[in-house]
Amino acid sequence: MRAKWVPFAFLAPALLGLFLFRAVPILLALGGGFTGTGLTGETSFQGFDNYTSLASDPEFWNSVRVTLVFNLIINPLQVVLAFLLALLMAKPGRGVGALRTAVLLPITVSIALTSVMWNLLLDPAVGPVNGLLRSFGLAAQPFFHSQGQALPSLIAICTWRGVGYWMFFMLGGLSAIPPEVNEAASIDGAGPWRRLWHITLPLMRRSFGFVLIADTAANFLLFAPVYIITAGGPDGSTSLLMFEAYRAAFTLLDNGRSLAISTVILLIVAAVATLELRFFRADDVA
Amino acid sequence: MQATRRTALAGLGLGLAGLPTRARSTTVLKATWEGWPDSQVKPLFDAFNKAYPDATASYELIPFSDLFQTLEVRLGARTPDPDLYSCDSPLSASYGVRNQAMILDDVLDRAQFSKAAVDAGSFRGKLYSAPFANSSQLLFYNRAFFKQAGLTPPTADVAQRWTWEQVAEVGRKMADPAQNRWGLIIEQAERPYQLLPLGQSLGGVALSADGLKSSGFIDSPAFVEGFTFLQRLYTDWKVSPPGVFDPNVTPDLFGSGRAAMFLGGTFNLGLFSNKYPELDWGVAPHPYFARGKPVTPTGSWHIGVNPRTRNKDAVTEFIRFMTGPELQVEWFKLRPYVPVRRDVWDKLPEVFGTPTWKIIRYEVENTAVARPSTPGWREYEDLLRQTLRDMQTGGDVKAMLTDTAAKIDRQLLKYNKV
Repeated sequence: MRAKWVPFAFLAPALLGLFLFRAVPILLALGGGFTGTGLTGETSFQGFDNYTSLASDPEFWNSVRVTLVFNLIINPLQVVLAFLLALLMAKPGRGVGALRTAVLLPITVSIALTSVMWNLLLDPAVGPVNGLLRSFGLAAQPFFHSQGQALPSLIAICTWRGVGYWMFFMLGGLSAIPPEVNEAASIDGAGPWRRLWHITLPLMRRSFGFVLIADTAANFLLFAPVYIITAGGPDGSTSLLMFEAYRAAFTLLDNGRSLAISTVILLIVAAVATLELRFFRADDVA
Repeated sequence: MQATRRTALAGLGLGLAGLPTRARSTTVLKATWEGWPDSQVKPLFDAFNKAYPDATASYELIPFSDLFQTLEVRLGARTPDPDLYSCDSPLSASYGVRNQAMILDDVLDRAQFSKAAVDAGSFRGKLYSAPFANSSQLLFYNRAFFKQAGLTPPTADVAQRWTWEQVAEVGRKMADPAQNRWGLIIEQAERPYQLLPLGQSLGGVALSADGLKSSGFIDSPAFVEGFTFLQRLYTDWKVSPPGVFDPNVTPDLFGSGRAAMFLGGTFNLGLFSNKYPELDWGVAPHPYFARGKPVTPTGSWHIGVNPRTRNKDAVTEFIRFMTGPELQVEWFKLRPYVPVRRDVWDKLPEVFGTPTWKIIRYEVENTAVARPSTPGWREYEDLLRQTLRDMQTGGDVKAMLTDTAAKIDRQLLKYNKV
C-alpha cells in the first residue's frame, strides 16, 4: 500500500519545479496578453487590444515571417546534419575521437559566448574570417551587416553550436538498432544505401521525432544571438519573435504586447510540435 | 554531557555578545551603477563610506550595453532595491513620469550646477535626477596618419573648426579599408546622442517642443541630409568601418592606430594618455556642416533615486556627497567627464587652462544642444538607433526616417496623458 505514494514523493520536487517555472509563467503570459500596464505600473484588463494591435502591425508580421523562415531552414538542417554526423561517428575508426571532440566542443560554449565570439570572427572589417577570404583572393563579406546574409549567418552559428547536442540523441538511436538486423540484411545482399533506407531510417523514427520536436521548440525560443549581435537588424531581417517580445517589454515598455507575442510564440510552437508529432505517430502506425 | 552543553551555551552567549547590536547597525545603500572601471568607482564609494560611517553604500557595475534593460527590470519590480542608480540624463523624464525617480528639488541647490545639467535632469520644472557628469565631444586625430599622407591636421581653434566636408575629404585620402585603416571612427556610431548633431548642424530639430511628436522633425530635410552624409561615410566613401558600434571597442581601434580621426568623448583623454603612450594624438573641435552651424552633443550621467527606498536620509547624504565640490574634483581626476558643478571649473586651473579643456568649455557654453526632453526617450532612442545602424549598410535614408518617425510616434502616444 505504502509503495503507491512513494513514486509521487520522488516526482514531487521535479513536478513542483515544472509547475513553478513552466506552467505558472505560461499561465501568467496567457493572462497578461489580455492586460495593459499603465505608466506607473498599474495593470488593467484590455480584452483583445494587444492582439488586434499586433494584427495591424507590419513589424509583427515581418517578425512572424522571419521566425518561420528561420525555423523552416534551421530545424531540418540541424536534424539532417546531426544524423549524418552520428552516422560518421557511430563506427569506431581513425580520427573519430578527434572528430567527436570537434563536434561536441561547441556545446560547452554558452550561447552568449558563441554569439560574442562569432560576432568578432565574422566582423566585416576586423574579423579573421574575412581575413581568410581575402588571403584566398575572395571578396570580404558583410555577414551580419547585410540584409541578405544576416539570417543565414545566424542559422550557421546556431547550427555550429547546436548540432553536436542533437547528434548525441541520434547516436543513442543508432546504437539502439540491433546489429543482427544489419548483419542479416548484409547476408541477404543489401548494400549500405538499402540498409540505410530500409533499416536504419525506419528504426530511427523515434529519435528523429524527438530531435525534430525538441529542436523546433529550442529554435522558436532563440533569443541571445539576436540580442547580442544584430538587435533584429539590418532592417528587421533577423527580428525573431522572441526578440520582439523582449523589445516590447524592455524597450517599448509595453508588457501587454510582450506577453501577447509570447502567447503567439507558444501557440505556433504548440501547433508545429503537434503536426510533427502526428507525422511521426502516423508513421509509427504504418 | 551536561558540562558540554553548558559550555556550548556559554560559548553561544559570548558569540552573540560579539555581534554588533541593532542600535549600532549601519544603513546599507545599494546602487546599480554604470560599468565604469572599478578603479574609477570604488574610490568614490570608499570616500562616502569613510565620511558617513553610519551608512554603507555598495554598488554593482552593469556594462553600458545592459544597464538600461537591467534598470527596467529592477525598477519595474517596484521594490526598494536598488536605492540609487546611474541615470542617463535624457531618461530622467521617463523615470520621473513612471514614478521610478524621486523628485530631488529639496535635495540639491540647482544654482551650484550648470543650467544644461539641471535641464537634462528636469522635466516640467521638477528635478528627477542629480547631475553627476556632463559630456562633450572632440575630434581626436592621429598625427602619424597625417604626416604619412602629407596632410595638415585640424586646428584646435574653435573659430577655424573643420567642416564635415573637410573631414570626409581628408578621411578618404587616409582610409585603406583592406588594411583595416580608417579615416574616421565615430565612438557611438549608432547612438542619437552622438549623431543628432548631424541634422541639428543643418538647422534640424529632433522632436516637437512637447516631446511627443517626431514625424516632421526627425525625418525633416535637415536630418535626411545629415544622415545621408553619415551613410556615405560608410557606403560610398568607405571612410568609416561599418558595423563597429560598441563604444568599448571604438576608442581602442583609434588607440591602436587604426584610424586617422576619432570623434569621441572627453572620457577618452585619460584612456589615450594612459593605455596608449606610444600614440601621437591631438584634439580639435567637433566638425560642422559648411552651410550650417556648429552643434555638439552634451548631457551624460546623473544619479537617480528609487522613490521606494527605505533609506531616504542616507540617500540624501549620498547624493549631496557625490555631487559635492570635493568629490566632483576627485571624480574628474578619476574620469575626466565635463564637470556639472560650476565651481569645479575654477579648481584645477592646470587642467582647465589647457587648449583641450578650453575647447570643451567653449562647446559646453556655446554649441552644446541637449537631447530632446521627452518621457519617451527610451523608445525614441531605441527605434532611431536601429535605423542609424541599418542606414550604414545602405537604403533610402528619407524612407527609413519617415518609417521610424511613424513608429516612434506610435510609441509616444502613451505619454499624451502625462
